[in-house]
Amino acid sequence: MKIDAKGYMDYVAKVAQKLADNRDYVTELDSVTGDGDHWVNMDLGFRKLLEQRSTLEALSLGELFKKIGMLVMSTVGGSSGVLYGSAYIKASQAIGQRESLDVPLLAEVLGAMLDAIMARGGAKPGFKTMIDPLYQGLEAMKAALAVGKGDRAALDALRAGSIAGMEATKAMEAVKGRATYRTDKGVGHLDPGAVTMCYQLQVLADCFSS
Amino acid sequence: MKKIINNPDHVVSEMLEGFAKANPSVVYFPEAEVIARREKKAKVGLVSGGGSGHEPAHAGYVGEGMLDVAVAGNVFASPSADRVLKGIQEASSGKGVLLIIKNYSGDIMNFNLAKELAEMEGIEVDSVVVKDDVAVKDSTYSTGRRGIAGTVLVHKIAGAKAESGASLAEVKRVTEKTIANIRSMGMAMSPCILPGVGKPGFVLGENEIEIGMGIHGEPGVERTAPQSASALAETLLGKILADYDFRGSEVAVMVNGLGSTPLMELHILFNEVEKRLEPLGIKVRKALVGNFMTSLEMAGASVTLLKLDGELATLLAAPSAAPAFRA
Repeated sequence: MKIDAKGYMDYVAKVAQKLADNRDYVTELDSVTGDGDHWVNMDLGFRKLLEQRSTLEALSLGELFKKIGMLVMSTVGGSSGVLYGSAYIKASQAIGQRESLDVPLLAEVLGAMLDAIMARGGAKPGFKTMIDPLYQGLEAMKAALAVGKGDRAALDALRAGSIAGMEATKAMEAVKGRATYRTDKGVGHLDPGAVTMCYQLQVLADCFSS
Repeated sequence: MKKIINNPDHVVSEMLEGFAKANPSVVYFPEAEVIARREKKAKVGLVSGGGSGHEPAHAGYVGEGMLDVAVAGNVFASPSADRVLKGIQEASSGKGVLLIIKNYSGDIMNFNLAKELAEMEGIEVDSVVVKDDVAVKDSTYSTGRRGIAGTVLVHKIAGAKAESGASLAEVKRVTEKTIANIRSMGMAMSPCILPGVGKPGFVLGENEIEIGMGIHGEPGVERTAPQSASALAETLLGKILADYDFRGSEVAVMVNGLGSTPLMELHILFNEVEKRLEPLGIKVRKALVGNFMTSLEMAGASVTLLKLDGELATLLAAPSAAPAFRA
């Protein structure tokens, strides 16, 4: 189970499609607790990556992650842009000269992304953000790998953990971002950033499995 | 959705292109969505910016006596750090650059990252954060209070100070004094439509208004039945005065429209606000009524009070050639 730069761009295309399919759902979630622009900006970012697909596919894996980071940062803007941008740039350092992602390296990459997002946003697990599905998915994945369960089980753990993390945001009180302006701190509503993060982790696990 | 646009992806760039053509005193850098003064001066550079959809903020405040650069993000989203960096570079004349940031998570992250990048290039950068919206409780733990219409007065005062040739530390001191003495409170009557979304982000019934709603349609304090101008002035001022004691002081008052509220109504609201100030011993030294910090086509208004001392009053009255703020 390995993914190279070309395989990663196939993943990007699938995320773009997943976002396109869920436009109204994500925007509705964001309209309740935020300002309704999350889907628009994420969609813009992934479409921008696809526009440059042929150039991006030709890069080394590490360079690809760095370039994705810079493109996402400048195209998506807002909080999501700088957080995903920082995540990809940090991940490119974790990848170094390696030319393909296997499952253990994927865990390293996701760990680097999590660190970058927490450092840049000053947020932690439990703050009702994109961090929650990533954190829970990664923890589950690492636990599976640690006991030698194998790639497929680790990916299943990533899937299940990220869904659990995403769903857990519903009961959380927001600490960062626009949901904090609600008197209920968004309790009872899923965080849209957690939902789109979860989409990406699901598609990623699927890409490895297929 | 009925809007005068070509393509939702291009609203920001096409707006700024038009803005620069209409205002020859500024130049437009399309790759970074930056609007900068055409004539540069050796002085502290002032950079502000934020999501688009708040016009005339922020590009309208670029001009002699106010900002040097405005950096635009996508609609309602902070500009990215690379755009802000370009803004800092354009504003820099070697005397340092001050960033005026509104207190939103995305803006804070992107402006701070840009500040780090500019410092790596040897540009001295400092920043201030505006958080004037009393609808939100201030907090050091969470994001805290939003920056809204009061930001325009912060631009004005910081701009006048920078124009006088003051040092970066001096400009920052006066800007922070302004921020400490400014409070705003708004209300909304109808939603706005993001061009990329195509439909309203929330619904307000025919018999509903929302007190304390943010300039991106973020939730406010409460929904009530529509109120008379007199009752609204009472509500908005009440929240402001409960947060900061303006009694016995001289103030600047701004009544700001959110986009589709007629000037007639804004002046009626100002009239009601003004009536309530004198009995409290609050003297209106400067009044501003108009659309300064909007929220696309949202209907509604905000009230801002700024306590003035001699220094702030002088700076507020200093000349400004910015397209959206002539003084």
